[in-house]
Amino acid sequence: MTTGRATRGFGLFGSPVPGHSLVHRAPLWVKFGFVLLVGVSTFVVRDWRVSAAVCGVVLLVHLASGLGLRRLMRSLAPLLPILVVLTGFQWWSHDLPFAARLVLGILAAYVAAGILTATTPVDQLLDGIVWAARPARRWVDPETVALTISIMLRSIPWIAGAFGDVRESAKARGLERSPRAVILPAVIHTVAYARRTGDALAARGLGDPR
Amino acid sequence: MTTIELDEVIVEVAADGGPSRRRLLGPVSTRLTEHRVSVIGANGSGKSTLLRLLNGLSLATSGRVTVAGRDVKTDGAAVRRLVGFGFTDPLSQLVMPTGREDVELSLRRSHRDRDTRRKAAEAVLLRFGLGHLADQSIYELSGGERQLMALTALLATDPEALVLDEPSTLLDLRNTMLLRRALTALPQTLVFATHDLEHALEAERTLVIEDGLVAFDGDPAGAVQYYRARAEALG
Ligand SMILES: Nc1ncnc2c1ncn2[C@@H]1O[C@H](COP(=O)(O)OP(=O)(O)OP(=O)(O)O)[C@@H](O)[C@H]1O
Ligand SMILES: [Mg+2]
Repeated sequence: MTTGRATRGFGLFGSPVPGHSLVHRAPLWVKFGFVLLVGVSTFVVRDWRVSAAVCGVVLLVHLASGLGLRRLMRSLAPLLPILVVLTGFQWWSHDLPFAARLVLGILAAYVAAGILTATTPVDQLLDGIVWAARPARRWVDPETVALTISIMLRSIPWIAGAFGDVRESAKARGLERSPRAVILPAVIHTVAYARRTGDALAARGLGDPR
Repeated sequence: MTTIELDEVIVEVAADGGPSRRRLLGPVSTRLTEHRVSVIGANGSGKSTLLRLLNGLSLATSGRVTVAGRDVKTDGAAVRRLVGFGFTDPLSQLVMPTGREDVELSLRRSHRDRDTRRKAAEAVLLRFGLGHLADQSIYELSGGERQLMALTALLATDPEALVLDEPSTLLDLRNTMLLRRALTALPQTLVFATHDLEHALEAERTLVIEDGLVAFDGDPAGAVQYYRARAEALG
């Protein structure tokens, strides 16, 4: 299967972009705090203009980390239809300021999380998660938690790609309107992928107790 | 050399919907002590099933598999530290977005400190001449580079033996030769399945698998000759 490349490597869960910007060099906890702050702001802030300001700051940080407009646009592309529908719906059911506050909040949180994953090498992210999971080590192995999360991050774009591929091959057979022809194969591909990944991890002894 | 021993090994799975069982492999008893062992046989004959037993990826239904005296069933984690397992498709092997990160993942267990781990990863990548490709997305590597990267990630932990399931099947001629050269240079004990008979001949010993049984076990030239004759007789 030739999993769609466009859906992979960009977006919230895209691979890190090496660089030496201030954002790249900032310690992980600062970046994580930033993401957390932006996230919290979305349900604390009541005024859409403040939301716009937060969103603006996040976009500035994105540009300051040298990630570029292109990556931003490509990462937003899959989210855009949802945001448009959401705006319309909230505008209709509430009012425009409410819709703006909501959508700007989502946008800010999404881009902020994208900055974190784009400027932090996976290895460093893993160390951060291991560190954060230490208090729970009586119940779970922090390394396992970190590995689980990173596999999850890696898998989301893959699964999105699988749906894209399957839809294409369904289209080639004139079946793109049949949910059965799209969803079923995508689910089967995904399960096969999960088994392969599980095998690969097991083969490398990554799930073994230490 | 790492000794791998199979003693009356049988692998069975539940047949669909019934209490009956389907035998995929066995009984197989053999003792592998050579530096290079190749495994050949038709599609579906049981090569992968056999190889997966060697580091505990799957367990025998009955019988015993040991590596350097350790039982794969009871001492799986230790065996997996001794034996690296390579898949046909390097994309299922590499679980991280870039080669460097994947090598670092391999090293997490042995190097707890991030800086020493990073240095060790760099050293491993340079040793295999992949330094310039380390930070490229694994999806952007060529098939050959990807297979070499997967091999490097396996070798990062310095296993004593490697088990490779059709390592060159997805590669073109040039990359196959590149991979074969890289494999030849390895000090590790190597057990590999292949459909490339020329590659199979480079071993010291060859097993021919037929319907889940070892049909021929001996010198590679004889094994290939036997395998060819069988294929002709059947086809
Ligand atoms: N988990 C499983 N459940 C049921 N049958 C299986 C399972 N895994 C493998 N088989 C069957 O076992 C047989 C041997 O498979 P195996 O993958 O070992 O063959 P192989 O020699 O590696 O073939 P190839 O050259 O195509 O890779 C096949 O008939 C296959 O259908
Ligand atoms: Mg096979």
